[in-house]
Amino acid sequence: MSSELERRLEGMLADAPEPDPGAGEEALHRALRVLRPVAAPRRGMRAAALVFAGAVVLLVIAAGSLAAAGALHVSIGAKSKPPPPAPELRLPKGANGVAAIVNGQLSVATRGGRTQLPASAAALSPRALYVAVGSGDSLVAIAPDGRRAWSHPAGGKVVAIAWAPDGFRIAYVVHAGRRFVLHVIYGNGVNDTPIDRSVRAVRPSWRADSLSFAYVGGGGRAVVYDVGHESRRVVAVHPPVTAVAFAPSGDALALEGPTGVSLVNSSAHRHINSTSVEALGWLKGRLAVAVPGLNSALIRVFAPDGAPRGSSRADGIVKAITPELVVVQRGRTLVAGHTTLLTVPRSATVRDLQIG
Amino acid sequence: MRRARRGDREAAALLFRRYWRDAWRAAFAITGRHSLADDVAADGFERAFAALGRFDERRPFGPWLHRIVANRALDLLRAERRLSDEELPDTPDSAPSHAAGDRSLLGAVADLSLERRVVVVLRYGVGMTPKQVAEALDLPVGTVNSRLARALEQLRETMEVEHVE
Repeated sequence: MSSELERRLEGMLADAPEPDPGAGEEALHRALRVLRPVAAPRRGMRAAALVFAGAVVLLVIAAGSLAAAGALHVSIGAKSKPPPPAPELRLPKGANGVAAIVNGQLSVATRGGRTQLPASAAALSPRALYVAVGSGDSLVAIAPDGRRAWSHPAGGKVVAIAWAPDGFRIAYVVHAGRRFVLHVIYGNGVNDTPIDRSVRAVRPSWRADSLSFAYVGGGGRAVVYDVGHESRRVVAVHPPVTAVAFAPSGDALALEGPTGVSLVNSSAHRHINSTSVEALGWLKGRLAVAVPGLNSALIRVFAPDGAPRGSSRADGIVKAITPELVVVQRGRTLVAGHTTLLTVPRSATVRDLQIG
Repeated sequence: MRRARRGDREAAALLFRRYWRDAWRAAFAITGRHSLADDVAADGFERAFAALGRFDERRPFGPWLHRIVANRALDLLRAERRLSDEELPDTPDSAPSHAAGDRSLLGAVADLSLERRVVVVLRYGVGMTPKQVAEALDLPVGTVNSRLARALEQLRETMEVEHVE
């Protein structure tokens, strides 16, 4: 039976459906785009390499003779510089994952494992099952154990990434030539679509229903892009907008601008004056705006409709406001609630800090 | 191959046209979906062309390409499963040109677990030896053989049940 079955299997798979011609042409175009010539070694170069190798051999023999005679101390190879200490990233209680880029090195800790790699930008997926990473000129999805789920050639350095709350799409900004270009790609690494060819290098923010997201377009204007209708709407706030943050539920959108924070939703538009904003985010469903002070930050809290809901102080510099925790830098430590997330060098650049 | 490695687009296009159909079919047989097969096969070629510099041209291109395609399909399906926490719709879209018996066999293959399905596709669809399948999937040959044996057993049982019904 097996041999008969095997024969049928061979026949059946050889008789599988044909690919669409259009798909082939598109695939050919994509494949040719990444084709890079491999230079064949030239004769002249080969000869030069042989001469160089010969000279090195003679030099080593001569040095060895001198060393044997005690006339020369030979030390071959510089002592390798130890890699910088990897930040010890701790997972806060109740969180699925935490990620941060410290001096260009991404650290991720999740319930499924931890990993580190150089990165230009990063975003955790819902429930921190994956992290989308700007790596070289690619956008890469990495599992917590370090395994690459997929990699997509982005055509430039990825500078900002935002994973939709439903996990199905990722918005990301690429530095392509002299411009920043906004793309959307499916969460499984396919169907990449350029959305806007002139945007600012600001992390987009998805609306809670994952049907639209906000970004900062050319001229610093805030734009909301509707994924379903493939349409965009410019938000009427004074540019330049420097940060966008949709509420974790509903449609309230917070926008950081030169004179403070604007809170926009379908029925209201409220402006919160502040000459300086240290961090902006949604904390337990409310808008939190961190205003820098001398040794501490003032965190002002607002309802989604903009009504003030009090304020509190945080000792240190507010580095991020995540859905459940405020992350504060005190000296060399980054603290979230009662958890010390990691210790960093004093002058370290910390970015894309997320707790999911 | 040598010309393609040196960046000759015409030669690379010829290489593409020679292997595209087989690569797409392998992707389709593993993923069971037209749209995914398009993406997986296209991505496989993109990766293969990007890595042509590392390819040993004394070895055949086809198995190397299929290895990339199969692993890409596996990664994609596993990623989808993790993201959705659900089983994928594994049933092939359609295969209208098949004979009735082959269509049910294709359905039976689609019902295999992902791990078994991929070894069946590489072994019988692509024509790799168990050793090549093992290399492609980074598995011991014994594991490939046992998965093949179990897959064939499952297929045989499925086909027998269908035959009785």
